[in-house]
Amino acid sequence: MNKGLHRFTLLVTGATFFLLIAGALVTSNDAGLATSDWPLSNGQVFPRMVGNLFWEHGHRMIATSVGLLTIALLIYLLLKERRPKVVRLGLFALLAVIAQGLLGGLTVKLNLPLIVSAAHATLAQLFFCTVVGLSVLTSAGWQRERETVPEKGGVPLRFLCLAAAGTIFLQLILGATLRHSAPWDHYLPIELVLAHIAGALAVTLILGAAAFTVFRRYPNQGYLTNPAKIALGLLSFQLLLGIAAYLTRLASPTDPQPLNPMIAITVAHVACGALVFATAIVLTMRAFRVLRVSAPAFELATA
Amino acid sequence: MVTRNTKSWLVLLIALGLFGLGSACSKSPESGGNSNAGSTAATKKFVAKGNEGSIAGVVTYTGAVPPAKKIDASADPACASKNPNLETEENLVKDGKLANVFVYIKDGTLADGSKISAYSFDVPATEVPLDQNGCHYVPHVSGAQVGQKLKITNSDPTQHNIHFTPKNNDDWNQSQPNGAPPMTHEFKRAEVLVPVKCNQHPWMKAYIGVTKHPYFAVTKADGTFEIKGVPPGSYNVVAWHEGPGNGTEKPMQVTVPANGAAKADFSFGAATAGAKSSLEMMPAIEVPMAGRH
Repeated sequence: MNKGLHRFTLLVTGATFFLLIAGALVTSNDAGLATSDWPLSNGQVFPRMVGNLFWEHGHRMIATSVGLLTIALLIYLLLKERRPKVVRLGLFALLAVIAQGLLGGLTVKLNLPLIVSAAHATLAQLFFCTVVGLSVLTSAGWQRERETVPEKGGVPLRFLCLAAAGTIFLQLILGATLRHSAPWDHYLPIELVLAHIAGALAVTLILGAAAFTVFRRYPNQGYLTNPAKIALGLLSFQLLLGIAAYLTRLASPTDPQPLNPMIAITVAHVACGALVFATAIVLTMRAFRVLRVSAPAFELATA
Repeated sequence: MVTRNTKSWLVLLIALGLFGLGSACSKSPESGGNSNAGSTAATKKFVAKGNEGSIAGVVTYTGAVPPAKKIDASADPACASKNPNLETEENLVKDGKLANVFVYIKDGTLADGSKISAYSFDVPATEVPLDQNGCHYVPHVSGAQVGQKLKITNSDPTQHNIHFTPKNNDDWNQSQPNGAPPMTHEFKRAEVLVPVKCNQHPWMKAYIGVTKHPYFAVTKADGTFEIKGVPPGSYNVVAWHEGPGNGTEKPMQVTVPANGAAKADFSFGAATAGAKSSLEMMPAIEVPMAGRH
């Protein structure tokens, strides 16, 4: 266990969350094409950041910083980390952030085609999930010796948690597609709205089932109940934010410009979605860490 | 070990995923409402016979006019300084007359029975101006023929980007810093209307009607318009006005006599609530997953 490495991983995770928010601000402000240049902005490294160029170029600067931090993290892992799987995850993070940067460039160069924009937003969540995973793996709590707990009941909790994380990821893809399908001054396509609502229902059912299974089967395992409680709390808040985001987006096409309530709520919805996903990832990792059946089907990187 | 319950959960998850992806990839119905007098290949070059007439009229706005909305331009001090009273330009009404309505011949038949869509027309050498001045577009609504050049200028002390977001033409986005020379652009296909926006200043909007022929006009501040040089015949004339969604259009059948003038008055506003919204013709996702917006 290297405290410095863990702290640095937390720093990268925090910076990535900040980057997610910055990216969401670009979309909500309709700033993605504020400059037709990439990677420079209007041919400059430091352009005059007025109007929506503030959001777009600010996003690029934060993204560059996160890219550099990820390179540093991989070097740190190569120097201090003994578990090859964790180092490989660090390498995956670097490849993901490079791919993410290229996708960001493509969104500008191709004028925001939906598939590229949605892929950019989705990969952002995947990258965030990767650095969250690295934070968990480098933590003292993960590397401490733990007694394994037998799986109970018909549906293994590990699979339930995995299903919840997978469903949340699909919902994030749907959300990214919905969000990038129409700018603020156009109405959202109803079929995507309905699909996203169906996704919210699915997430609520599966994540709810996973959390309540934790509470019922392992009420004394704080290692599992804590992330389950946080996940449920975040999910409840996320559902409220989703309703508010829909209402503000319903009104925005008649607004003269993107207004602050719509921007704040839609960005918060994106950020909270990332936190729900991250918490589900933590819960899933912990479930695989401590729960065992006689013939384990899945293993994650452990100490 | 995978139990039956586990399998059920996995099947449910896969089904939900497929449902989501299917919904994401579904395509909104295309009604093809953007065509105008050129939906079929033009084969004959139009030659004026000297007996052309005109279509003129007045566009009125009935009912209470929605007030213009104040724009907060503080994000760019140059805009706030040059044009401190920026407002939306959706409903420019003076004495009940509506400006910035695009009126054009959508289709029709000439007096000799030939379709107007069967002709090709010379492209004017004059450039259509589009200026960014005071952090809004001047003019707000304009028209151009297919292939006619637009001259895009930036008269502001700040940078802009000009972004055409058409359905039938190529998406085009270009930064234009203050002091940069004029740019030109042309559209390859007819499209009524091509939205224009500035992503740096998201309140900036303009519309350009692109037709294959020269038979279009934009109403002036007094609501009047005139389309000159129209060959005698019977036409479907459409007036388009921006509004909720992607605007509203009103069609009218007009007969133009030889050497004569036809009248075509239109009305928008509360009393025209039943008019066809262009929103129906321009679904949010025209080509899902590969489309542009």
